[in-house]
Amino acid sequence: MGLFDKLAGWLGLKKEVNVLCLGLDNSGKTTIINQLKPSNAQAQDIVPTIGFSIEKFKTSSLSFTVFDMSGQGRYRNLWEHYYKEGQAIIFVIDSADKLRMVVAKEELDTLLNHPDIKHRRVPILFFANKMDVRDALSSVKVSQLLCLENIKDKPWHICATDALKGEGLQEGVDWLQDQIKTMRT
Amino acid sequence: MEACPGGGQWLDAHYDPVACVNTFSSCVALADLSGDGENRLVVGDVGGSGGMKLKVFGGTALLSDSSLLDLPAGLAAFFMDLHEPRIPAVAVASGPSVYVYKNLRPYFKFTLPGSEVNVLEQDVWQQVREGHIDHVTLKEMLESIRKQADVPLSVRSLHFLSLDAAATDEFVQLHKQQPIRRQTVITCIATLKKSTADEDGVSCLVIGTESSDVYILDPEAFIILSKMSLPDAPSMMDVTGQFDVEFRITVACRNGNIYILRRDSDKPKYCIELSAHPVGLVRVGKNVVVGCMDESLQAFTQKGKKLWSVVLPAPVTTMASMDLPTRGFQAVLVGLANCEVHLYRDKNLLSTIKTPDAISSICFGRYGREDGTLIMTTKSGGLIVKILKRTAAFEDRDGAHGPPPAQSIRLNVPKKTKLYVDQTLRERDCGAAMHRAFQMDLSRLRLAATKAYVKALESSLTPMSSSLTEPLKMNAVVQGLGPSFKLTLNVQNTAACRPVMNLAISFLYDESLYRMRNPYMRIPLLVPGLVYPVETFVECTSDKGISDIIKVFVLHEGRSVPLLTAHINMPVSEGVTLN
Ligand SMILES: Nc1nc2c(ncn2[C@@H]2O[C@H](COP(=O)(O)OP(=O)(O)OP(=O)(O)O)[C@@H](O)[C@H]2O)c(=O)[nH]1
Ligand SMILES: [Mg+2]
Repeated sequence: MGLFDKLAGWLGLKKEVNVLCLGLDNSGKTTIINQLKPSNAQAQDIVPTIGFSIEKFKTSSLSFTVFDMSGQGRYRNLWEHYYKEGQAIIFVIDSADKLRMVVAKEELDTLLNHPDIKHRRVPILFFANKMDVRDALSSVKVSQLLCLENIKDKPWHICATDALKGEGLQEGVDWLQDQIKTMRT
Repeated sequence: MEACPGGGQWLDAHYDPVACVNTFSSCVALADLSGDGENRLVVGDVGGSGGMKLKVFGGTALLSDSSLLDLPAGLAAFFMDLHEPRIPAVAVASGPSVYVYKNLRPYFKFTLPGSEVNVLEQDVWQQVREGHIDHVTLKEMLESIRKQADVPLSVRSLHFLSLDAAATDEFVQLHKQQPIRRQTVITCIATLKKSTADEDGVSCLVIGTESSDVYILDPEAFIILSKMSLPDAPSMMDVTGQFDVEFRITVACRNGNIYILRRDSDKPKYCIELSAHPVGLVRVGKNVVVGCMDESLQAFTQKGKKLWSVVLPAPVTTMASMDLPTRGFQAVLVGLANCEVHLYRDKNLLSTIKTPDAISSICFGRYGREDGTLIMTTKSGGLIVKILKRTAAFEDRDGAHGPPPAQSIRLNVPKKTKLYVDQTLRERDCGAAMHRAFQMDLSRLRLAATKAYVKALESSLTPMSSSLTEPLKMNAVVQGLGPSFKLTLNVQNTAACRPVMNLAISFLYDESLYRMRNPYMRIPLLVPGLVYPVETFVECTSDKGISDIIKVFVLHEGRSVPLLTAHINMPVSEGVTLN
C-alpha cells in the first residue's frame, strides 16, 4: 500500500477525506483552516461563519474536504446533519475562554453520543487554540476539563495551537493523516 | 432529570465562593463595555470587607475595580450618544448624585437640585451664627420645628439632634458658617430609550428619589426633561417604552403600593395596593410580577388588575427577569431565602436551582458570548455563573393544580358481552332468591362437613389422635412397583414431654389380594417429638391389576377402640410374581 500511496502521491491522485471542523463560535475554526490552505488561497479577513462553508486543502498524501461549521448557538443544530459524511473530526477549543469550557464539553459529549458517531472509530483531533493569549489554559488542562481520557473507543489527539501564527497545526494534521491511513488498511 | 428539576437545564460554568461581591440586583448590569461583542458584568459593590467599588468581570476573572465615593443605590448601563464605537456608559447612583463612567473612567457627575429649606430652621442657624442663642436652645428649637415640620429639616440639623451633648459644640463650630442645604438622595435608577426602540438606541436615565419624585434626565445634556411625583418614596422601578413616544414607569413605593406613571401625566395613573410590602418587581410583557414580604408572588396587568398569585416556600430575597428573545421565552427568576432560585412562567414553577448560599442578586442575559447566562451573587460574596443549555426545554409543571395527568389516559375496557348483560339483569331481578339459594347451599355444605367430621372422630378415622393421654400423628408411605411393596409408617408422639408406651399396629386388608409379613406389630416406647418409622412388607397376590385399601390401626394394649386409623390406597401392582 505504501508504494501505491507514494505512486498516487507522485501522480497527484490523492485520496479524498471528508473532515468536519467543529467547536464553539470564536474558537478559531475558520482561522485554522485558512492557515492550512496554500498561501495563495488564504483569505485575508476572517468573519464569523454563517451556517457552514466547504474548504479544501492537501497534505503529502491526502486531499481534505473540510466542512467548516459555524459555532454559533443557533447554527449548532446543523452539525449533526454532516456527522454521517465525516471521516474525521477536528474539534477546536478556545483555551482562553474558561467560562465556556463547560459549553464546549457539553457539545462534545452530545457529539460523542450521537448515533452517527457513537459506534464509529472516527479519529478526533483537538486543537486547544489561542495558546498565545495570556492566561490561556494548557492543552493538558483543556483535555482534563473536557474529560478526554474518557474517550476509549476512538483515536484522539490534542495539540496546543496558535492559529494566527500557524503554530502547532502541522503536528495535528500529521497525526490526522496517519490515523486516516491506518484506518483505511 | 426528575431527581433534580432544573439541574438538567443549566451548565455550571463558574463558581467562586470568595469573589467578594456584595451587591443587589439593582446594582448589577451586563454590557459590552469594550465593544468587542463580549459582554462584561458591571457590579456596584456595596462593600463589606473591601469598601465600595465599581467592579467589572469578564469571563471568570475580575477585570477591573475602582473605588466609589458613596454607597451605590443603583447602576445602569446605557448609550448616552451616537459615537462610534458603540460603547455604553455606566451610571452609578449614590447619594444625591449620578456618576457617569465612560470607558470605565469618571466622565460626568450629575447632582439633583437642592430642595426647599425650612425658613424657621434657617432663622435659627442665623441666630446661632450671630451668637444670640446657645446650643441647648438651638436643640429645643430644632426639636419643635421638626415636630411641626411642614418642610423637613436638613441633614445637618438632623445630625446635630442625634449628637451627644459633648459633641455638639464642636459640630456647631464646624458647620455654622455654611448655609444650610437640603438634599434628597436617589433610591433607584433605570433607563428609558429616548426615541428609538433599538438595542443600542440612546437612553435617558430615570431616577427615583427619597423626596418621592421621579426625574427623567436627558442623556447628553443631563438636564431634567420631566419630573413626576409619587405619594411615597420609590424603592424599585421598571421602565418601558420611549421618552418621545410613549412610556410607562412602574414604581414600587415604600408605602407598599405600586404606581404606574405614563407620559402624559406627572401623577400616577394607576395604583396597585399590595397585601404586603414588595421585595422584587419584574415586568413580563405587559404584566408586572411582584414578590412580596408575605412569601407570595403576584401578577398584575398594566392597569392594576390582579391576574394570579402563588405561595412561595420561603421569603423572597431578590428577583430578575429571564428574557430569551431568540427563543421567545420570558420568565421570572425568584431568589429565595432557603437557598433556591425558582423559575416561574406565569404561575407555573418551571424549574428550581439549588444554590450553595442564599442569593442576593440575580442577573440574566448575555455574558461573554453566551446569550443565556445566569449570574448570581450570594449573601457571603460568592459569584455563580450558569449557562442555559442549548437544548434546554422548559415544560409547565402545573404544581398541585388540576387533575393528575394519568386521569386523561383512556383505559382499554372490554365491551359488555350479551352474557354479561343477561347475568346483570337476572341479578337485578331475582337478587333475593339468588341470595337465599346460596345461603341454603352454604348451610348444607357446612352440615355435610360437620357430619363427616363427627363420623371421623367417632370411628377414630383420622391419622391424628386427639386423645389427651396419647397424642399421636402418623403418616404412611408406600414404596415399590409391586408385587412387593414396602410400607413405612411414620409415627410421632406430639406430646410436650410425656412418652407413650404399649402401642401396637394392626392392619386390616383383603386377604385374597394381599399378604403381609407381620400384620401385627408392637411399637417401642415413643419419645416425644421424634419420628419413628415402622416398616413392613406387603405382597400383592393377585395378577388382575386391581388394588385395594389397607387400613392401619394404632391400638393401645388392652383397649379395643383404635387411637388412629389410616387408609392406605395401595397402588396397582405393576410387576409379575416370579413364582
Ligand atoms: N489570539 C488568538 N486569536 C485567534 C486565534 N485563532 C483565532 N483567533 C481569533 O479569534 C476570532 C475568531 O476566529 P474564527 O476563525 O472566525 O472563529 P470560528 O471558530 O470560525 O467562529 P465561527 O465561525 O463563528 O464559529 C478571530 O478574531 C481570530 O482572529 C489564536 O490562535 N490566537
Ligand atoms: Mg468560522
